[in-house]
Amino acid sequence: MSLAWLGVMPFLLFALLFLVLPTMQIIVGSFRNAAGEFTLDNIVNLFQPSIMAAYWISIRISVASALLGCLVGFLMAWAMVLGGLPGWLRSPLLTFSGVASNFAGIPLAFAFLATFGRLGLVTLILRDWFGINIYAMGFNILSFGGLTLTYLFFQIPLTILIMTPALDGMRREWREAASILGASPFQYWRMVALPILWPSLLGTFALLFANAFGAVATAYALTGSSLSIVPILLFAQIRGDVLQDPHLGYALAFGMIVITGIANFIYIWLRARSERWVK
Amino acid sequence: MKINRFWSWLFFGVGALYFVLPLISTAEFSLKMRRGAYTPDAYWTVLADPRFQQTFTYSVLMALATIAFGVLLVVPTAYWVRLKLPRWRPVLEFITLLPLIIPPIVIVFGYIRLYNTSSWLPLTGSAMGTNLLLMFGYVILSLPYMYRAVDTGLRAIDVATLTEAAQSLGAGWVTILTRVILPNVAVAVLSGAFITFAIVIGEFVMAALLNRPSFGPYMQLLGANRAYEPAALAVIAFAITWGCMALIQFVSKFAPRAPGAQH
Amino acid sequence: MPEPFLSIQHVRKSFGATTVVQDFNLDVEAGEFISFLGPSGCGKTTVLRMVAGFEEPSGGRIVIGGKDVTGLKPNQRNIGMVFQAYALFPNLTVAQNIGFGLKVAGVARAEIDSRVAEMLDIIKLPASEFGARYPYQLSGGQQQRIALARALAPRPKVLLLDEPLSALDAKVRVSLREEIRSIQKKLGITTIFVTHDQEEALSISDRIVVMYGGKAEQVGTAFEIYNRPATRFVAGFVGTLNVLEGRLGNAGKVQVGSGEIVLREEPADVRSGDIVSLALRPEAIALGRRAGDDAVLAGEIADVHFLGSVIRVRVRAGDSIVSLDTFNNPATPPPRIGDKVEISFSSGDVMLLN
Repeated sequence: MSLAWLGVMPFLLFALLFLVLPTMQIIVGSFRNAAGEFTLDNIVNLFQPSIMAAYWISIRISVASALLGCLVGFLMAWAMVLGGLPGWLRSPLLTFSGVASNFAGIPLAFAFLATFGRLGLVTLILRDWFGINIYAMGFNILSFGGLTLTYLFFQIPLTILIMTPALDGMRREWREAASILGASPFQYWRMVALPILWPSLLGTFALLFANAFGAVATAYALTGSSLSIVPILLFAQIRGDVLQDPHLGYALAFGMIVITGIANFIYIWLRARSERWVK
Repeated sequence: MKINRFWSWLFFGVGALYFVLPLISTAEFSLKMRRGAYTPDAYWTVLADPRFQQTFTYSVLMALATIAFGVLLVVPTAYWVRLKLPRWRPVLEFITLLPLIIPPIVIVFGYIRLYNTSSWLPLTGSAMGTNLLLMFGYVILSLPYMYRAVDTGLRAIDVATLTEAAQSLGAGWVTILTRVILPNVAVAVLSGAFITFAIVIGEFVMAALLNRPSFGPYMQLLGANRAYEPAALAVIAFAITWGCMALIQFVSKFAPRAPGAQH
Repeated sequence: MPEPFLSIQHVRKSFGATTVVQDFNLDVEAGEFISFLGPSGCGKTTVLRMVAGFEEPSGGRIVIGGKDVTGLKPNQRNIGMVFQAYALFPNLTVAQNIGFGLKVAGVARAEIDSRVAEMLDIIKLPASEFGARYPYQLSGGQQQRIALARALAPRPKVLLLDEPLSALDAKVRVSLREEIRSIQKKLGITTIFVTHDQEEALSISDRIVVMYGGKAEQVGTAFEIYNRPATRFVAGFVGTLNVLEGRLGNAGKVQVGSGEIVLREEPADVRSGDIVSLALRPEAIALGRRAGDDAVLAGEIADVHFLGSVIRVRVRAGDSIVSLDTFNNPATPPPRIGDKVEISFSSGDVMLLN
């Protein structure tokens, strides 16, 4: 019996103590009452209108920012890799994407307040130069639209970073072979290019979704507690501001794990279906 | 082809505008502290604030500790898995991906419940214990990047041959790791380190919920109470992130290349 | 001469300031198998890509079956093409790959299926075993055969092969090239084959276009190209060539080292006293004095390579090194380095290079 497995024990122990057990603690806790007995009450309590509304807006923001992030990021990566843009653009764009995808949290909120806030530069320019008052038109940086717009600042670059290698792998011969066999560019994209890129796109979407769904700092710095999305609700609950029942906090967190878990399960399932042709 | 290029420039232009506008706006806003003139007053105010100095120092130290612990944890593990336990790789990859899926707020919530003062390991009972717990949390957050960077670095060198060569010269495990493997994956480790630094320096939710005096909560506090200083802080934070990424690019030029990987 | 089926007329191509193809002309008859042979960068692939429509000529026109296709997009030309390697669509099965061209043309499902089966039959891969496989499950040689079937399935007017064998290993390369040639003959399809491998070009082509520096140096059958190279480049590129430098004397006499060669024809544009280059194929030279040979040079063995059935000997004669081939004979051991020998050949085999 080889003892080689002992070598990974420190790592596994660490992951167990500071990743797996804390998560298990939340999951188990959400099925327990204050006396430590099994109960479904916490889960049932999630289905009150205010909490459901919070989940709903969180999901909407995450889906919207993930979808738009995938779409815009993919188009930009495509433009850079295959669209005939000059080659010197590539390196700065990738570096910038690396920076922007890590530029999240509090400073990002500040940046967008300075841009699209009530006194932000873009807001003022639109109002004073073009006579367009976006706030009078119903836009608010502290809203679904505003938060989605802000999240795109790290969602788009993340997509660019993930999709660039995938697009690099698209061989010129595939497009040429399709073309000489009589396919239109649209047919090539529908029958060859998109099916090949599909798993990468799905994976990007799942990652972007989880990324937006769990983000606290940007939303908190941007909106304080005025926009009730799930992570902010949970944040306030942990700080002891709202929600009297501590076990409801477990359930809230459990709900977040379930939703990001479902998103990733769907991703893994679709990927397995669409990747039969990969080694 | 010409139509193609038109669309390319359009996508690129719209995207570039979206990314550049907030940066310009923030920079502009940060210079407007004194009415009617562009001055760097907001920056001086921030830099002179003792709480800025304290929290920034705290976060830098926290980042360095996270990097040191992360390297000690990840490099031997990734090396060992490559060398002896290739069948464990999927397990390790799954574990290192989890922090991207489980929201940090959930993880830190778990810490608070699991390591509170009345638990078997009361880490949150003391300031030092809480610092340690926060550092462990950061190691978990940086795991996806650190592990991937090191594993990619190890793929570029022939781990088995290097190890056998070192062993045949009489080297022990510690010598092999510190004198043979680590120098060869130094570039990968540095890449992981800079990303870790960028993540830790501005992290908010863990520090806020564990009540540690770090840079993220300080920024949030300032944002809630001031107008121009937050913009200055955003510019500084952007510059730090940019610095980290530039350093990654710089060190990757010295990376050994994987055989057959020309691109 | 019958009307050419494929006609490339005064075609030029420049990328910016660099000209890669200059004034290229070629008429190909229906059913002919033409090879473009040349070193990399000679423009052969560019000409092929212009015929396919991937590159737009800077000048000239391309006519296929009486129709000017110069301005047409690749998907309007009805051409089949096999690429260097790995151009099968990785997300489609073998059958879907072969049926791709028919599917995009809107052919009915049943007809696609029967055509795919027919093509798999032609390339000798049983449909039951291979139809449902994905490209990654196939060897390189199988992939290229599928690629050939895919190119031929929509019944193209012209087949273009862009170094289809260069990524395969040597044994597969030989068997597949013979298979390509036999399928081409069976279907009677007009074919252009691009290669940098002279053996490939010589062995399977009706005619060969030897290209260099963006120009066609010579167009001719393998026999013509090999035995009567039109230019010094062709002589040097195709086959092994010995070049002897000598001084031209009177009446077509050339002084080479210690010996003398009398040319059959007196060269026109060189004067006596000039240095001339004479070329000889290794197989034209014999070790020792061969009956009937009128040219004899003295030399010394410089090198001996045992290649199996053939022994290649290198002899130093004067300032030149001459390679020659002798058959292996188990009864006589090969010559040794340093041996003093004579070599002989017929002056009729000597090519004068200019």
